[in-house]
Amino acid sequence: MHNVWLIAKREYLERVRTKAFLISTLLIPILMVGGIVGSLVLGHKTKPTSHIAVVSPDQQLAVDLQSELQNGKDSRMTVEVISPGNSETRATLDSMLVDKQLDGYLWITPAADSSQRPSFSYTPRSAADMVNRDAVRTALRNVIVRERLAHQGMVASDVDALMQPVKVDTTQAGRIADSASSLVAVGVLFVLMYMVILLYGMNVARSIIEEKSSRVFEVLLATIRPEEMMAGKVIGVGAVGLTQVAVWLITAILLTGSSLMGALAGGKVQVSLSAMQIIFFVTYFLLGYLLYSSIAAALGAMVNSEQELQQLNMLLVMPLAGCFFAMAPVMTNPSGLLARVLSIFPFCAPLIMYLRISLSTPPVWEIALSIVLMIATIYAVLWVASRIYRVGILMYGKRPSLPEIMRWLKYS
Amino acid sequence: MPIVELQQVSKAYDTKVAVENLSFKIEPGSMFGLLGPNGSGKTSSIRMMIGITVPDSGSVRLFGQPFDRKNLPRVGYLPEERGLYKKMKVIDQLSFLGQLHGLDATTATKRAYAWCERLEIIEAVQKKTEELSKGMQQKIQFISALLHEPELIIMDEPFSGLDPVNATLLQDTLVDLRQQGRTVLFSTHRMDQVEKLCDTICLIHNGHLVLSGGMREIKSKYPANRVHMIFTGDDSFLNHPSIESVKNYQGIAEIKLREGADAQALLAEAVTKARITRFEVMEPTLEEIFIEKVTAESNKEARESNGFVAGDRVNA
Repeated sequence: MHNVWLIAKREYLERVRTKAFLISTLLIPILMVGGIVGSLVLGHKTKPTSHIAVVSPDQQLAVDLQSELQNGKDSRMTVEVISPGNSETRATLDSMLVDKQLDGYLWITPAADSSQRPSFSYTPRSAADMVNRDAVRTALRNVIVRERLAHQGMVASDVDALMQPVKVDTTQAGRIADSASSLVAVGVLFVLMYMVILLYGMNVARSIIEEKSSRVFEVLLATIRPEEMMAGKVIGVGAVGLTQVAVWLITAILLTGSSLMGALAGGKVQVSLSAMQIIFFVTYFLLGYLLYSSIAAALGAMVNSEQELQQLNMLLVMPLAGCFFAMAPVMTNPSGLLARVLSIFPFCAPLIMYLRISLSTPPVWEIALSIVLMIATIYAVLWVASRIYRVGILMYGKRPSLPEIMRWLKYS
Repeated sequence: MPIVELQQVSKAYDTKVAVENLSFKIEPGSMFGLLGPNGSGKTSSIRMMIGITVPDSGSVRLFGQPFDRKNLPRVGYLPEERGLYKKMKVIDQLSFLGQLHGLDATTATKRAYAWCERLEIIEAVQKKTEELSKGMQQKIQFISALLHEPELIIMDEPFSGLDPVNATLLQDTLVDLRQQGRTVLFSTHRMDQVEKLCDTICLIHNGHLVLSGGMREIKSKYPANRVHMIFTGDDSFLNHPSIESVKNYQGIAEIKLREGADAQALLAEAVTKARITRFEVMEPTLEEIFIEKVTAESNKEARESNGFVAGDRVNA
């Protein structure tokens, strides 16, 4: 155990000390802060403040539009009303566009039949000016709807009431639908596992390949067992990944406040269950991470270069992707046969069993069995990996075929 | 009690036989040379001694007990292919390797400094390994095998790739360690190094034991039938009947005499023909003994395998 600890400690410290680690760890939080600050700043700026002109023979429509655009909810424009335009208006407006005195103008041509909508043509100074165009379009729709409603004999106050935006109270979501909140937690677990395994599982494999190419293993194997080395690598490199994810998560929680916290805890609502859920979340996440890292270690033991590893990394992600597709049937019937089998199968257990625990209450023995099986599998995978490793390093140069690997397992 | 004992050890990788029926003993406090050309099974034998691989058959005993991993901290090992963590600082690296061998961090660091001082690389201590020259890296690897003061020191080709100054420095260090009572085993394909350093040797070829025993005994088995001479003038005396074979390098001749031949007769003949500036009767060098043994053996093998082929044909 002492040797495992030494290997893990070295691996952890050496990796955490690198500039690459520091940069990637800090970069994400900086991007998060930057993103939030940026969106706040941009949020203020997106209300258009441009200067446009409206040319309309219908004075009422033009004035309504002007007040909507100048004082409306989403825009603070300066609007000139030209009513009605004459033959030289268009030329004048065009030259004003060129002189940058105007940002655009709207030309309204009344329809021949009064029951038809008039036709609108908006000429912006720049073709890329979508903000003004959208603002004008929204304002026009509001104005026309108001006008029509008034036309139908509705009182102005009623029209205002009707035009109020609908408010949906989102704070109640999750209070009743408890499966929804656990689904969020499962989703977070899934994304987290997928991401962490993709980002860091491969680091375990890489670190083992690195050890092979630097030939340090021979000195190490003269004192420690390959199993100890494998375990140390998985724990050490794994801890680096967890450190980084922890830094990111903490930043995210600090930045976004309790809402994410709520999601992570599987919904804060059910206090009695959420403590359990957190424990299970952490347990299954760690076990799943360890299991997949061990497989990565085995892959690393099998190959000699990073390129060969690339061809095999599908093997790492495939079971996880399979679990993703199994999620739907498990959700509809969390105690069904499929769900029970998958939740005990070690490679699916971290996701599926957690999903079942969130949705229903599986028997304690099934939970215990899934955990025991996962630990046993981690041990078995590491044992196999160390066998492959020990024999593999002595005949480096070519990737072993499956029958060769089987034969290696018999060597000691 | 021998400190290392191999009994009838065999090891094959897939179809290639690396070691076959190899037996030898290393007595405590001796300097043992494991010799053989490239690919003869030196590294395979060493790996089996320290449990990196396990023999297919036969047994390995360390410190008078059947092989047991718990004895490994008493062994210091320098592998043939050097390996250090490239990005790690020298001192951290040595401390880590020392700790893996059972030292605590403070002792490991203290000893690492002392050794770096002794091997004149103290200025490299705070550098990363990748910044160092190959020779320096080798010294660091050398130190890492010795930090935990092992009773048995196993070094696979310890002097390869070193300049003469550093090679001598490491040789002297090994001699010192041996005088402190440690047992040293090293492998090499350079026989001339062994003659000076070792008191016991084991010569292997194609995984077979060719020759083993004390250096003196081996040498004494071979009569002093080599003559090294330097001369100017007519070299026709080299056809003298007492000469079995000769290598003539324009004025320098390495001569092997026939069994029972007298060097004096050759000298008398030579004096009449040429001007002799040097005439030395010597024991054969290890290299010559080795080549003689190996040639004899491969001739025997060739004859045997021919016999088999012929027999197969008859049966078919």
